[in-house]
Amino acid sequence: MAEFLEFRGVSKRFGAVQAVNDVSLEIKKGEFFSLLGPSGCGKTTMLRLAAGFEEPDAGRVFLDGRDITGLPPDKRKVNTIFQSYALFPHMTVRDNIAFGLIIAKRPKAEIRDEVDRMLELIRMADQAAKKPDQLSGGQKQRVAVARALINRPDVLLLDEPLAALDLKLRQKMLIELDLIHDQVGITFLYVTHDQAEAMSLSDRIAVMDGGRIEQVGAPAEIYESPRTSFVAAFIGDTNFLEGRVEACPDREYCRLAIAGLPGIHCFNDKSLQPGQPIYLSIRPEKIHISRERPEEKPQRNYLPAVIEDVIYLGSNTKYWVRAGGYRIQVFRQHARYFLDEKPLRWKDEAWIWWHADDGFMLDHFRKADEDLLAVPPQSVGEPLNGK
Amino acid sequence: MGRKRRKGIDPDISQKRGSEPLRRTSDGRSSESAPGCRFDPILKRRRAEWLTSLPTLTWLGLFVVVPTVLVFVIAFRPANPYGGIGGGWTLDTIRSLWTPSYLAIAWRTLWISLLTTVICLVLAVPSGYSIARASEKWRGRLLMLVIIPFWTSFLVRVFAWKSLLHPEGLIKKALEALGLVGTATTLLYNPTAVVLVMVYTFLPFTILPIYAAAEKFDFRLVEAARDLGASSAQAFRRVFLPGISRGLLTAFLVVFIPALGSYIIPDLVGGPSGEMLGNKIAQRVFTDRNLPHASALSAVLVLAVLAPLIAVLALQRKAKKSDIIMGEAP
Amino acid sequence: MRRSRFPLVVTALVLAFFYLPILILVVNSFNPARFSSRWQGFSLVWYARLFESPEIWQALRNTLIVAVSVTAVSVVLGTAAAFALHRYGASRLQRVHYTLIYTPLVVPEILMGISLLMFFVAAGVPLGLFTIFLAHVTFCASYVAMTVLGRLQDFDFSVIEAARDLGASPWQSARKVLIPMLMPGIVAGALLAFTLSVDDFVITFFVAGPGSTTLPLRIYSMIKFGAPPMINALSTLLLAVTLTAVLVSQRLVNRRNSAGNPGTKEKFGT
Repeated sequence: MAEFLEFRGVSKRFGAVQAVNDVSLEIKKGEFFSLLGPSGCGKTTMLRLAAGFEEPDAGRVFLDGRDITGLPPDKRKVNTIFQSYALFPHMTVRDNIAFGLIIAKRPKAEIRDEVDRMLELIRMADQAAKKPDQLSGGQKQRVAVARALINRPDVLLLDEPLAALDLKLRQKMLIELDLIHDQVGITFLYVTHDQAEAMSLSDRIAVMDGGRIEQVGAPAEIYESPRTSFVAAFIGDTNFLEGRVEACPDREYCRLAIAGLPGIHCFNDKSLQPGQPIYLSIRPEKIHISRERPEEKPQRNYLPAVIEDVIYLGSNTKYWVRAGGYRIQVFRQHARYFLDEKPLRWKDEAWIWWHADDGFMLDHFRKADEDLLAVPPQSVGEPLNGK
Repeated sequence: MGRKRRKGIDPDISQKRGSEPLRRTSDGRSSESAPGCRFDPILKRRRAEWLTSLPTLTWLGLFVVVPTVLVFVIAFRPANPYGGIGGGWTLDTIRSLWTPSYLAIAWRTLWISLLTTVICLVLAVPSGYSIARASEKWRGRLLMLVIIPFWTSFLVRVFAWKSLLHPEGLIKKALEALGLVGTATTLLYNPTAVVLVMVYTFLPFTILPIYAAAEKFDFRLVEAARDLGASSAQAFRRVFLPGISRGLLTAFLVVFIPALGSYIIPDLVGGPSGEMLGNKIAQRVFTDRNLPHASALSAVLVLAVLAPLIAVLALQRKAKKSDIIMGEAP
Repeated sequence: MRRSRFPLVVTALVLAFFYLPILILVVNSFNPARFSSRWQGFSLVWYARLFESPEIWQALRNTLIVAVSVTAVSVVLGTAAAFALHRYGASRLQRVHYTLIYTPLVVPEILMGISLLMFFVAAGVPLGLFTIFLAHVTFCASYVAMTVLGRLQDFDFSVIEAARDLGASPWQSARKVLIPMLMPGIVAGALLAFTLSVDDFVITFFVAGPGSTTLPLRIYSMIKFGAPPMINALSTLLLAVTLTAVLVSQRLVNRRNSAGNPGTKEKFGT
């Protein structure tokens, strides 16, 4: 598939802040691509570079093979959905949607037909004469989408479009955006800090932090094979255990030396060498917990643990356990509920185990990324997550 | 029971490792920007900035800066005996300012302005407060009521007071009837009349900034203070007043400075005992035709105005946005 | 928490204080007596005298000529200035710019009057309606700028970006989006400029020449040199005219806006 929207080595600095630092990215035609990251990671700047509201200090931007780096926003075949929707308050819904075509000086009849088609698409044909301040949040967003799509842009840029909506509405609009993308088929570049949005909508995600790209890949790849501790900690939840590779008896599995724990095995997908320092990352839902000691099977890691916190959530329970001096989060789905089962409580002794295939070793890690993990405080006044 | 190994999820993982640069442990080094593209937005922005600023900059430069400089310059010239500006340079004009009569006028100008300002502030704070606390409906109406007198001619308002305070006027007759004053006392042509009319003129301008500040004030802070044991008066003094301090400063400026330069009011209702710097300057220009003298007096007034202005603006610099100040009375 | 009545009482007294002289003025304009303390029955004699007075008509004509031209020019200058101040506010140029714009608002009128007089005398410009025009624009532009600036500060510039994004050139986005959205603020500024120009006395007094009497100047000479009762009639008329103008513009502005009370807040930018 052709690389449709391409950033080559772009950098952008604002005063003392390097917002985007030598980033290269290739987005395929027709895909739903998300830029995901915390505030200030540079994702919005990337969007504005694509739209033409900012010029890169270095690097170039290509659209369908053409270098668009120097083009102003009105000359690019790219349209933006702004976070605040930016609907023209003095124009009706109809005039808002028609704006791009009016500027392009299309014949009146054509404009009228296209606008009607768009109003059908967003199911607001009966609201065409209203002004933006008479619309709800969800309606404004649909008008913003129609206003952009009517121009048939090569790429649609979306700047955290759901951030201003409440939860229920956000869920509804998520589905609508997905449908629109399927129906219309153009390339979407979506910027968000919300992983649920990114994971559920995207074909591929680029995780960004501090102006750089941490990892690019499909949602499952990002989640199950994170390459850095930032990606592992930012997406979903995980447990980090610091240690080093002790030995790799066969090519596939390594034995790890982690202080305080017996030999832990892990799948070696990165061709690591003995002696290398690593973070072992194991997601809470991959860990099993039980009162009785489970039967030992090969390629599994077993640890005795003591329960420190129990958070019951109905469909699942989160446990915080202490094993070998480490606090480990375990996530257990209640697939079956037995009335005579004694639930695990605070200070109970239990066993946790996980399959060696489910952990992953990270050779690129930062101590600071541990702050991204959710950790309940031990006492009043203790900062949450060390912040 | 063969579980798919993680390798199966993405067979290209190991290959990708090579192609995309992996990020690292320390904070990223800042990249030196290559010369890159040459569509320079900075130039366009500058050009737009100059284009929109140039009209007012030129106009105001020509009609504000130059004339002000001129005033200071002319203060150093002697007076032409036939009116107008003489030739050469001299310090006599400036030295002639240092006389008891001028000092008396300067002093009177100062205390009248201060007194007016204080009275205005004292009356404006409760007014601004009650308007800010009023319901949506009433707020607009009350503001209109405050503003409407502003729509009448300023001269006419002063004149209205002049006739009210006139010996044959309404107020005098009423006070006489009540036995408070004798037929001989004049309410007009003294500093009291000046203060009264100045308060009348400047009060609306004081109410507006205080209203604006009170409207932005979060009154739950006062509730919190009461909850912690403060009385109404204490909460007012310790929480509300500091909370609207920016409005208070603006209000102060909006009265004090125009008051210093007041001309019409002392001219129409002040009489000789209520003379202020303003009418002295006008007298020098129109009656005595002594322009350098008038310039010198004006220069003094400029300096007198600059001092509180700079002080208050420095105090206000702490806020991010400047308040919009209502100018002096027309 | 029971709120004290005291502030309301003060406000009521203050409002009464404001309107007392005005009410007396209006009432007296219908009083044929020379002195306001004696009521001699309802009469329109002063109004009649007004209409018969050629000086009044001449002064009115001069005032309007000046006010209309001043409003037109100050709106253009002030709006451009407000835009520059808001958009490029951080630069050094704008800080100087802001100080310059701010100055006419805080300087006492007599200082502006005398400095402009010196300037015109030194430059050899004959005093007349033209110098009045120049002087008025100098302070009206600042008022317009401040009013529009107040509106700009609440302005969401992403609409402009949206217009550019949809294909509009910078000029098109200004014409189709920026200016229509700013129109209420611009109108408020224009109204303010017009009123200030019509009502200005001190500065006009200094820079006017023979034969360029405006209404305020005429009123002043009437106050100083006799025929006081006509002034009541004149000011009542002025009050009625201004009130109508304000109410009409309020109605227009309200129709364009949908929420809130834009009235005075808009005009004065508070």
